[in-house]
Amino acid sequence: MPALVEMDHVSKSYEEKAAVRDLSLRIEAGSMFGLLGPNGAGKTSTIRMMIGITRPDSGRVTLFGEPFSNAALSRVGYMPEERGLYRRMKVLEQLVFLGELRGLSAPDASRRARTWCERLQISEAIDKKTEELSKGMQQKIQFIATLLHEPQLIIMDEPFSGLDPVNAVLLQDTLIELRNQGNAILFSTHRMDQVEKLCDSICLINRGEAVLSGGMREVKSRYERNRVVLQFEGTNGFLHHPAIAEYKSYAGHVEIRLKPHADAQDLLRTAAACSTITRFDLAEPSLEEIFIQTVGGRTDA
Amino acid sequence: MLRNTLLIAKREYLERIRSKVFLVTTVLVPLGVGVLVTFGGAGGRRLEGVRRMAIVSNDPALVQAVKASLEAGELAPKYVEVATPATRAELQRLNQEVTAHRIEGYLSIAPAAGQVEPLVTWVSASAVNFLSKSEMEEAVRAAVVRQQLLERGLPPGAVDDLMGPVALKTMQIRNGEVVAANSERSFMGAYALILVLYGSVLIYGVNIARSVVEEKTSRVFEVLLSMVSSDVLMLGKLLGVGAAGLTQIVIWSALLVFYAGSTLAASEGIHGLGSLGITGPELVYFAVFFLLGYFFYSGLGAAIGSTVSGEQEVQQFSLLIVSPLVVSVVLLPFVLGNPSSLTSVALSLIPPFTPIIMYMRICSQMPPAWQIALALALMVGSVWGMVWLAARIYRVGVLMYGKRATIPEMLRWLRYS
Repeated sequence: MPALVEMDHVSKSYEEKAAVRDLSLRIEAGSMFGLLGPNGAGKTSTIRMMIGITRPDSGRVTLFGEPFSNAALSRVGYMPEERGLYRRMKVLEQLVFLGELRGLSAPDASRRARTWCERLQISEAIDKKTEELSKGMQQKIQFIATLLHEPQLIIMDEPFSGLDPVNAVLLQDTLIELRNQGNAILFSTHRMDQVEKLCDSICLINRGEAVLSGGMREVKSRYERNRVVLQFEGTNGFLHHPAIAEYKSYAGHVEIRLKPHADAQDLLRTAAACSTITRFDLAEPSLEEIFIQTVGGRTDA
Repeated sequence: MLRNTLLIAKREYLERIRSKVFLVTTVLVPLGVGVLVTFGGAGGRRLEGVRRMAIVSNDPALVQAVKASLEAGELAPKYVEVATPATRAELQRLNQEVTAHRIEGYLSIAPAAGQVEPLVTWVSASAVNFLSKSEMEEAVRAAVVRQQLLERGLPPGAVDDLMGPVALKTMQIRNGEVVAANSERSFMGAYALILVLYGSVLIYGVNIARSVVEEKTSRVFEVLLSMVSSDVLMLGKLLGVGAAGLTQIVIWSALLVFYAGSTLAASEGIHGLGSLGITGPELVYFAVFFLLGYFFYSGLGAAIGSTVSGEQEVQQFSLLIVSPLVVSVVLLPFVLGNPSSLTSVALSLIPPFTPIIMYMRICSQMPPAWQIALALALMVGSVWGMVWLAARIYRVGVLMYGKRATIPEMLRWLRYS
């Protein structure tokens, strides 16, 4: 089965600045794909090339197994980072208009819009003008506008920013459901906890280049289990053990990063000898740590 | 493609038709014109001149002649008292009459020593207006001449013939035919249509620039561009705004036709469109040039809207939209008077000026067919070019944040898209 999106050695520069350099990625049907990277890394540029808003200088973009064409756009739902709705249009009119542009009939679009508004608990907003709504509500409208035509490829730039936790979970669950129905979902974010929880595969971009990509499990397995959380009662003399690269000491527990290829079991034995261990947790680094480690802590740009 | 163009046109159309601006301009413009015509007319009537006056002199024949002459004039007073002879008491009484506002003033006519022309004085409570003054001068002069002619033995009938007004009949060559011309009205229709053209092109050119800027600032256009191409967006926008403009014109035209055929208009001496100086072919040409001008300036507005970053900058740039129109309107008298001069011909072939200048030439003297055809071709070509350019700029506008692009930057962006 061909990938829904395939970008093959794609490059794009503006002025002298290279926005994207030699980037390749694949998004499979029925998967959730996280596009990560610090601000200005090239996430939005990548997405825009994917859906033909801009064209790559070199490389190849394939959508649904075919070279990019405008016709493919009716199977794509795109929610840009900077939300855009007509401020003076009423919610239902707006949703119907956007639905019709993607090929739905007006009654069909209207019916779906009402169903979605009910589902996302904003039915009371349906006859209001967009500019009268709160930001969170506008975002839900935007979300519905993106999904109304049941796209097979859903692209969301920072979908959860500006949402309260209750609504963020509501949208998250909706996305998971859509993924389970076989759609592909790409979202870009720098919220690593969400990516870790939701994504099947990721691509980490830094300064226009893919620095890390692959399936979530596979990516994480590339990293050694070198994180130790140790809870203890007694002295902390074991902190001089040669396996420890650095540690942070808290009340009752320490967080330790081990040196490469260090012997964690030996550390446990040493610690057990001088204090009572209530917890010893050896884990691979979190995605956030991988992110910071990979981009070298530079998140400015 | 076509479906999406129409969808976008429909949205733009509905948004405009429902807006307050549309309602206000549709109602207020005819209302404003109506008010102007009514008050202008009333103002004209108020220049009737003096209504109640007296003439005082020692020469009863001259007084009667002046009175007759005044009453035959265009601004005839309603009441003229004759007072002879001009005694001191009589003058005092007249002064009191003036003070009490029973009459507005009196003419005192006294023979001047050694001259044929008498010494004439107008005494009144207020300054006399220009029209009344020339009317009175004319009346006295005519009376004196009449009296002199009679004194020199001409029979009264011959004097009347001599003193009668000259009837000047004005004819005009329009589009190769000699037709009766009403010098005040012949171009009134053309003027009116040109002003409508000017006004709506101006309003909607700036309007479409605003609408583009709004889509940019609200970032809707990134969503739109992920669905349809920018050509479709621009074309739809132009068609929608164009349809809204046409709706307004149709409403106004209906009002005009209704007015021209109404009894109100008849009371102003207007019977049908013809007496407004508008002919059928002129209306057709008007529609053609209106639409082309409309699309040209809408395209220009869209292109400008695409390059700027905020509403405020539209204000600055609207000057760019307005200036060719202003130049056209300023040149109106020149082109109407010299429709075939090199300047007129050249301007009528330059797209930004074509709609108004070419239409003016057509109203004044039909230009050769090839010139009209060339102008139309150039217009259509440049409208297409405008839309193409606007669509490209609109598209690369996605990349702009906050600042306006310089022209070299935009040219480079055109390559990126």
